[in-house]
Amino acid sequence: MKKYRLNKYFFPALIAALFFLSSCAHYQKNLPLADIHQNEPYSFDAFNQPSDADETFVILAFSGGGTRAAAFSYGVLEEMKNTRLPGLNKTLLDEADIVSTVSGGSFTGAYYALFGPRIFDDFKEKFLYRNIQKELALALLNPANWFRLSSPYFSRIDLASELYDRTIFEAGAFKSLADRKKRPFLIINATNLYQGSRFEFTGAQFNYIGSDILSYPIARAVAASSAFPFLLSPITLVNYPYPDGYKMTDADKMALKDYWNNKSRYYNALNNTMYADKKGHPYLHLMDGGLADNIGLRAVNDLYLRGGIRKKINNGEIKRLLVIVVNAKNEPQESLDKNESPPGLATVALKTATVSMDNYSFETVESIKRMIADRIEAQMNLDGCQQKLDEHCKDGYKLPPLAGGKMKLYVVDISFDNLQDNDEKNFLKHLPTTFHLEKNEVERLISAGRLLFKNHPEFKAFMDEFK
Amino acid sequence: MEYLLVKFQESRGVIIDGASEGMTNEALELETGFHSVTLEPPPDFTPELHEFILRKTSVISPRVISFEKI
Repeated sequence: MKKYRLNKYFFPALIAALFFLSSCAHYQKNLPLADIHQNEPYSFDAFNQPSDADETFVILAFSGGGTRAAAFSYGVLEEMKNTRLPGLNKTLLDEADIVSTVSGGSFTGAYYALFGPRIFDDFKEKFLYRNIQKELALALLNPANWFRLSSPYFSRIDLASELYDRTIFEAGAFKSLADRKKRPFLIINATNLYQGSRFEFTGAQFNYIGSDILSYPIARAVAASSAFPFLLSPITLVNYPYPDGYKMTDADKMALKDYWNNKSRYYNALNNTMYADKKGHPYLHLMDGGLADNIGLRAVNDLYLRGGIRKKINNGEIKRLLVIVVNAKNEPQESLDKNESPPGLATVALKTATVSMDNYSFETVESIKRMIADRIEAQMNLDGCQQKLDEHCKDGYKLPPLAGGKMKLYVVDISFDNLQDNDEKNFLKHLPTTFHLEKNEVERLISAGRLLFKNHPEFKAFMDEFK
Repeated sequence: MEYLLVKFQESRGVIIDGASEGMTNEALELETGFHSVTLEPPPDFTPELHEFILRKTSVISPRVISFEKI
């Protein structure tokens, strides 16, 4: 029998060939815009038609915090599903208009936006009970992926987004959301590493980078939103030249004059219009949305101040506004301050990343509460003034009405601190930020989400209005 | 927030910073800063556009701008 001997160059050549092929491994690129109207189906306006359906406008903001945040926000969704609105043949969940999400909360928000009530049938098995961390580690240990990972254009986050795409989001893209034509309008938030600013996966934001949102996979947006610093790598997007007919919006033109009048408005416009410099910024690298805002409320803040919500209020299309903030902030047990020797590099790196995530969460919630309180105060001032005029001036003078009229506004902020049961509070607050929790931990988080929502005084006040 | 009253002899849609938002003769709630304001068609009003800084207003003392019918 004839024996074949492998040439001594066979294995080196095979390895070289595999490395060569692996250099072809490339992350999935976003596509350029062919037409300036292409992204319109995935815009706030497109999701808010017909406009007369919005007497009750419900906004959800889901924070980051891995599976802890995903389960906690799932509990709130479940309670909303079980809450029937008296006099209307609807549940509160049917009224959800916007869901703005970060990191772990993005899994729950995106799954609900994509699959609707199906979330209550299979999301626990598809995400909450899974050990995603182990699956990601196994993917990293798979030799077939080593070669792909040796490419400079393919990294750990691309493996993660492939896993999410295949096993959770079923290859859904933003076109799938646009085609559903069903609210809530999903805003997945990530952070642009260059400016440290919020980057949202919406048609409006993709217009700034000359890119098509409809073909972009939801799994990649969720991966960007949850790309935890140091553990996962950034997601890269291409900043494409604009198609013919693209013009800077009038709102941005005005805002760019506002450095001395309104810095928040000015910097928002500056961050968005920065992408017009295609040569200076040909790529964007996105990481965990929590680096810019770990609550998901800044997107809501912007819509309320200057975006679609503001227009709806001024157009008199909202009678009741309910903002539900689900904040899964934890307090992991640490022994940092028990040792005289300073913590090591890894601990400092991790702490640095998470401290910045948590620092502004409280202020962000307070900011939206203040804006809501200001609106209520304006309505009361106008009413009070008119009453005085009616009492003391006999000519029947009427003050100009406030656009939007007497809206009812509520902010339901849900966090573990609201729990009365100290043992349960401490247990939940000490759960780590991870993509693997035990089943009983997941169930306790879901129960806490339901209980805290149901018992929140602002939610009760909102429901009393329907009686 | 700031408050703007766009006066016109009839009720007409207002265009603020290029987008339809609110009606004339109502106090509109807007962000502090530069704004451009015009009215929905028909183009039977003057001036064509107001551009101004909106600041230091309140709901009972809004900034007032007017359009005249031609």
